[in-house]
Amino acid sequence: MSWVALGLILVGLFFLFVAAVGVLRLPDVFTRSHAVSLTDSLGAFFVLGGLALYQGFSTNLFKILIVLVLLLLLNPVISHATVRAAFRCGLKPWSKEDA
Amino acid sequence: MKSSIYQSLAIKTLSFFLIWLLLSQSFDLLHMGMGILAAFGVAWFNTDRTASGLTIPRLRIVWYFPWLVGRIIQSGFHLSVLILHPALPIDPKWILHRTKLRTDAGIVLLGNSITLTPGTITVEVDSQNLLVHAMDDKSADDVTSFRIEQQIAGLFGEKGME
Repeated sequence: MSWVALGLILVGLFFLFVAAVGVLRLPDVFTRSHAVSLTDSLGAFFVLGGLALYQGFSTNLFKILIVLVLLLLLNPVISHATVRAAFRCGLKPWSKEDA
Repeated sequence: MKSSIYQSLAIKTLSFFLIWLLLSQSFDLLHMGMGILAAFGVAWFNTDRTASGLTIPRLRIVWYFPWLVGRIIQSGFHLSVLILHPALPIDPKWILHRTKLRTDAGIVLLGNSITLTPGTITVEVDSQNLLVHAMDDKSADDVTSFRIEQQIAGLFGEKGME
């Protein structure tokens, strides 16, 4: 069981790493926020899933689930707010022609 | 589903109290008493007295989330490939998506689901149009093919659609 949990946590860390690379490599606010949302949706999802599995059935499991549900509700709101602010300030999104 | 405000007040108090019990894990009289008071207070201040009760979508919403997680994992892998690819083959674009959903809750769920899926972000929403920023055509496919929307329309029943 703990090996499966370890696997899930490693997958989560992989996505966190990819998101960090994405924030550094991508050209503008809009595309970078895509990379950031990868952190919350998949990175945190797999890490917390692994922790929940490792924890086994206890009250801590429910606490982890509460954190997971809060992340799933809050993450879209935050990335939407960031991108909308950039959009309303008139930032020009990077497009293929700019390359 | 129409319910009185007392009903929704009771439901809210009960669920807040359950969360309190879960997080405090102390079952003596003092802590539980404070918990029920706090839960009732929060529920009291957060009950909309003009609304005609809670509108909860059907229990089918339980099936929606595993499906969404599946979509998230698929497009997450796609986005990871895009990011790690040496040539960085991204092609960001705007999509103007006109939704057929009519209920506010449905549109909120649609916007959140789109943002939660890696590679697409909802930027602006008015009553029917969603402005979506997408990483490339394949990421945009979930939105433009109405795939997410059809799932949500199923949740809210036929009356949600045009």
